[in-house]
Amino acid sequence: MEILRSGLLQRALLEVVILGATCGALGVWLLHLRHTYAAESLAHAMLPGLVIAALVGAPLLLGAAGGVLVAAALIALAARDTRVGPEIAVGVTVTTAFGLGAVLALAPDVPARLGELLFGDLLGTSTSDLVAACALGTCVGLALCAGHRSLTATVFDPVAAPSLGVRPGRVDLALLILLALAVVAAVQGLGNLLVLALIVAPAAAAIRLGRTVGAQITLAAGLGALAGLLGLVASAELDTAAGASVALAAITLWLIAALLAPGAPQATGGRRSLVETLVS
Amino acid sequence: MSAASAAAASGVQVQDLSASYGSAAIALREVTFTATGGQAVAVLGPNGGGKTTLFRALLGELEATTGSVTVHGTMAYVPQTERSRLDFPVSALDVALMGAYGRTPWFRRITAGDRAAARAALERVDLADRAGTRFGALSGGQRQRVLIARALVQDAHVLLLDEPFAGVDRTSEEAIMGILAGLRAEGRVLLIATHDVEQARGWDRVLCLAGAQIAYGPPAETLTNAVLEGTYGEEIVMLDCGHRAVAIQHHSH
Amino acid sequence: MRTVFDKLGLVRWLTDPLAIPFMQRALLATLLLAVAAGLLGTWVVLRRLAFFAHAAGTATFPGLVVAGPWGLAAPIAALGAGLGFAGLLARMTRRGTTSADAATGLLLTAALALGTILASDVYESGTAVDRLLFGTLLGLGDGDIALAAAAALAAVIATAALGRTWLATGFDPAGAPALGVRAARGDRLLLALLALTVVAVLPAVGALLVSTLLVVPAATARLLTGALAPLLAGAVALAAAEGLGGLLLAYHLDLPPGPAIAVIGGGVFALVALASSKRQTVS
Repeated sequence: MEILRSGLLQRALLEVVILGATCGALGVWLLHLRHTYAAESLAHAMLPGLVIAALVGAPLLLGAAGGVLVAAALIALAARDTRVGPEIAVGVTVTTAFGLGAVLALAPDVPARLGELLFGDLLGTSTSDLVAACALGTCVGLALCAGHRSLTATVFDPVAAPSLGVRPGRVDLALLILLALAVVAAVQGLGNLLVLALIVAPAAAAIRLGRTVGAQITLAAGLGALAGLLGLVASAELDTAAGASVALAAITLWLIAALLAPGAPQATGGRRSLVETLVS
Repeated sequence: MSAASAAAASGVQVQDLSASYGSAAIALREVTFTATGGQAVAVLGPNGGGKTTLFRALLGELEATTGSVTVHGTMAYVPQTERSRLDFPVSALDVALMGAYGRTPWFRRITAGDRAAARAALERVDLADRAGTRFGALSGGQRQRVLIARALVQDAHVLLLDEPFAGVDRTSEEAIMGILAGLRAEGRVLLIATHDVEQARGWDRVLCLAGAQIAYGPPAETLTNAVLEGTYGEEIVMLDCGHRAVAIQHHSH
Repeated sequence: MRTVFDKLGLVRWLTDPLAIPFMQRALLATLLLAVAAGLLGTWVVLRRLAFFAHAAGTATFPGLVVAGPWGLAAPIAALGAGLGFAGLLARMTRRGTTSADAATGLLLTAALALGTILASDVYESGTAVDRLLFGTLLGLGDGDIALAAAAALAAVIATAALGRTWLATGFDPAGAPALGVRAARGDRLLLALLALTVVAVLPAVGALLVSTLLVVPAATARLLTGALAPLLAGAVALAAAEGLGGLLLAYHLDLPPGPAIAVIGGGVFALVALASSKRQTVS
């Protein structure tokens, strides 16, 4: 294809394929453990870190890492407050952090790069970004392999997991650390707001199609990479925003999966939300 | 997996145990009992009476406030099936294999021996033909049997069973009774939390809990009307001229 | 003498902006929204609907983007997008094949991605995007104020009429029907009212920061009291105070109001959380 000849696009393509595969695989576990809100929160709450990095001219990866660390610490602190419950406490923290990031970015004497931070800049991928994405992706992949059994036991039955030699609290924490790594790697390309698409959509599609956890993870990684590829090619052909095109491609793949495999109604063991209770 | 290994000096000794959740009020007080290999102990009591607290203290997940717990041999916990995630894509064999997780380091694959043990355990609970079936697609009784198979793969000397007959059909109930009798005969210790007073009469010992230990001993001597009233309070209904008592439970879903 | 001047300066910092017509309108809108968002926010906090409220706000983004080019009134377009979100969410979760958590995440990112492409590539809305995402002081028209008033009125009436139902269902969803409470109808009304309130607060705080008025003040009030009446009153009062503070800050620093209110609200929450947790450990 014509567009593949540009070095800019080649780097962007490689980056988005790596990110898609990493986020997709991780997403399967995050969805099984019902951690979508945590994924969104972490991505949003790191905005001040990104903005500060952009303002002082530091590498965005550094800002993202700092932002995630602070955000995770604040979220963990807030989630321990029993008076309002973790969901609300996390909501407050994320709103505040996001607002702070926007205040910093929108102050008038500051170069307006907010759009780029929110919606990503895939075409700005540098070789060092690629190396970082590769390293972080490999870390996440290896950790998922090593923790496969612990994750399985934790999702299946957190109450009985300790009697099998698995500590659900630690497993949860480890998964959230992996999430932070993936978000740090992906945020520059896909943006603060759109990272979630690559984490949720391929995994949700794979969970419909795969019959075993292993199959779901492999499938999600493949679908994530495919979404990155299709989205970026479409964005180059149609001249649309790259990050948003990748996100829409991932969601389109999910939609196709949902149509192909409508799925049987399943009993779920988890706590039902108001929305779930209402429609059932 | 061998019966001989399980029989070798397995047992549970609980002395003056009290336990609580965090800084909250004491959830369970003054529990003292001893169960030796080959004994099946029914743990009776109302909801909130301390059955789960006792199990968690035995499993070491809850620090004893006072007293001590001594367990000889390895322990396994068989949870209620509705607690597990039914939409999670694991097969019956996968669940049985979880019994080998504790002895498999994270960098190793599960050994062929453990795979064989998992198949044998499924065979033993009469579900060899359903090994590939998704756990959530099995019936309540079949799921309960798979969870018992998992405890067999753990090769536990002491099994803690949490309401193994709740939501289980008649056929499965008989099958589970048979399996448990077999385990008892191998010299394992079974602690069976249950609501069913009639069924409790069939086991070797009965432990009645209502916040504190009400009684412990052989069912014939222990399950007197006074003890049952002490255990269940007002929720008791006398039948058959006071010879038999039935506990009425208020289940909350 | 200096302190007098300082005080005078502070007073003028506070009062000067309020002499300007567009700030007066913004103030009026904020106070009305504080009533709606404070009351509804209490229920959001008690029923743990924070993710839903945030996602419903975000989901209005594509509606807001197309409102201008398509010649629709922004609240209508936003309401359409918000209702579309709620409808799709209900459809996706009805059969139990997708959890509400995952479905919310999917729809939220879908709306953001769609809105981004519509804004940057189809209609090239440019700088207007910041306004849609983070709110504005200047653009508040009479229609926005009328909508805020309607939302406030609806919230007051609904809380008076349905408060008991919502409390009973929130306390014990399974047991509520046995108490003679029409739980499902009450819940549907709560979600519908939430959608209306989300649309009403959009112009002031933007699609991404709906929670600043809908979640943060009520959560802060929840730290201080467990009783319903003071909770409702406290949430409204905090929303009004934080909204006012945010407006002034936004005016002086030339910021959109959404992030300014968010920072003030978060600061107040943090202070209250620290102060009240100290009090708890002492007592």
